[in-house]
Amino acid sequence: MYTKDELFQAISTVIDPEVGFNLVEMGLIYDASCDEEGNAKVVMTLSTKACPMHQMILQWVKEAVEKLPNVKSADVEVVWEPQWNISMADENVKKALGAA
Amino acid sequence: MVKISQDFAPPFKLIAPFFLIGSLFYFFASVYLFSFDAANLSFVNPDMMAFVHLFLLGFVMMVIFGAMAQLVPVVLEVGHFGVELFYAIWPLLLTGTLLMVFGFLYFPALLPYGGVTVLISMLIFVGEIFLTIFKVKKLTLVMSSLLISNTFLFFGIIFGLLMALSYAGTVSLDIASLLKAHVYAVLGGYIAITVMGLSIVLVPMFTLSHSFSLKPLKISLIMMSMAVVSVVISSFFKIDILAYTGYALAAVSMIVYFYLIYIIYSTRPRKENDIYAVSLMFSYISMLVSIVIVVFYFLTQKEEFLLASMWLFFFGFFAFLITGHIYKIIPFLVWFEKFSPLVGKQKVPMLADMVPYKSSQAQFVFCAVGVVLITIAILTKGDALLHAGASFLFIGTLAFIRNVFYMINFKA
Repeated sequence: MYTKDELFQAISTVIDPEVGFNLVEMGLIYDASCDEEGNAKVVMTLSTKACPMHQMILQWVKEAVEKLPNVKSADVEVVWEPQWNISMADENVKKALGAA
Repeated sequence: MVKISQDFAPPFKLIAPFFLIGSLFYFFASVYLFSFDAANLSFVNPDMMAFVHLFLLGFVMMVIFGAMAQLVPVVLEVGHFGVELFYAIWPLLLTGTLLMVFGFLYFPALLPYGGVTVLISMLIFVGEIFLTIFKVKKLTLVMSSLLISNTFLFFGIIFGLLMALSYAGTVSLDIASLLKAHVYAVLGGYIAITVMGLSIVLVPMFTLSHSFSLKPLKISLIMMSMAVVSVVISSFFKIDILAYTGYALAAVSMIVYFYLIYIIYSTRPRKENDIYAVSLMFSYISMLVSIVIVVFYFLTQKEEFLLASMWLFFFGFFAFLITGHIYKIIPFLVWFEKFSPLVGKQKVPMLADMVPYKSSQAQFVFCAVGVVLITIAILTKGDALLHAGASFLFIGTLAFIRNVFYMINFKA
């Protein structure tokens, strides 16, 4: 129903308030899909396991996807493999953080 | 309204008093410095005891306890056993600290009351932390560090209470032995091990660092634990060799820990030198210089080296590590409370927007200059330099209070 790119576009409205970049350009969203019935699934990670915003960020991603008109529900799964690192972020993020 | 569990972020009204009172005590400690005479500084002086407790209990422990209310669930990945207990901890710690400070200064009879009040607040804290740790199914290295540090805190406060009772004449015990055991259990056992464990979670979190080995942390935790046990045993059984072994182990432990921080810091993807980063740099450099100075103390046995080393460890290492983290913790808690419900509905500030840039830079510069001047003043016994340094710290800590209030009352 929605392509991976469309779902990523919706999730890119979610910004990490600590670093100031959206989750997609941070490279935190690993995969996203949506079936014909409007059930979406997002696979993502966080920059650290001990993130105090863990629950909030998951909720924001869920809400961002569920804002799409034909999505009935969104399931967000957090995985720790592969572990996130800065090489997964977009070039503009790396440059802004001084990691490029 | 988005429903978010409070497990990982206790209500700010619960934590705010710890930070507000802590920052006020940091300021009071800087004011207290004006009363010292650089030529007559001594650890056994009651004025010094009052000052050390004003700083360590009123500022360091107060802020650490408040920070732990938020950080323990983050580190342990479980909710608190009873986070409401923190509402009782700060009033008791505040009352106990004041009683102890006035006890040292004017009325020694107040010391047991102050000691018992502090003991109760710390027992509540330790009990809550232990019961929270028991909820964890599998302990990681960092979680183990919390368990170890709180165990040392428990013994440290028992030694402190016995000392307070002896000081007031209620019981007759060897105060010098208890003092050594108390200082090492609290400073090395609790504060240093807590700092080691938590910083290995927090520093990589804020610098986005990954892929470093935790082996140095394991080594430094073991060495510091052995150091504390050695010194405590040596203080009661008068075994000098054990004491010196403990001192050496503690110094090497801190150097190994510094090595790990250096690795994390030098490979960090996030290179910006914000107030957090520069505060930590000053903090860790102070720690290294403090270790170098204490070596001179053991070589010369001159008390000014020990005083200067402790000064740098307290006001350089501890204070800058704490203030640096406060610039991260308060904005997060205030943001969580005020702005997180508005995400997606209106523009919300970033966490960095909530830190007053110029004022925080001023706080850093004034406090850093003050710490350096006073270190030189202690080593050279220069009274004018001591008061000049105190003046810088006075302004710096005043700016810090202003910054804490600014962040707490931040409006977008």
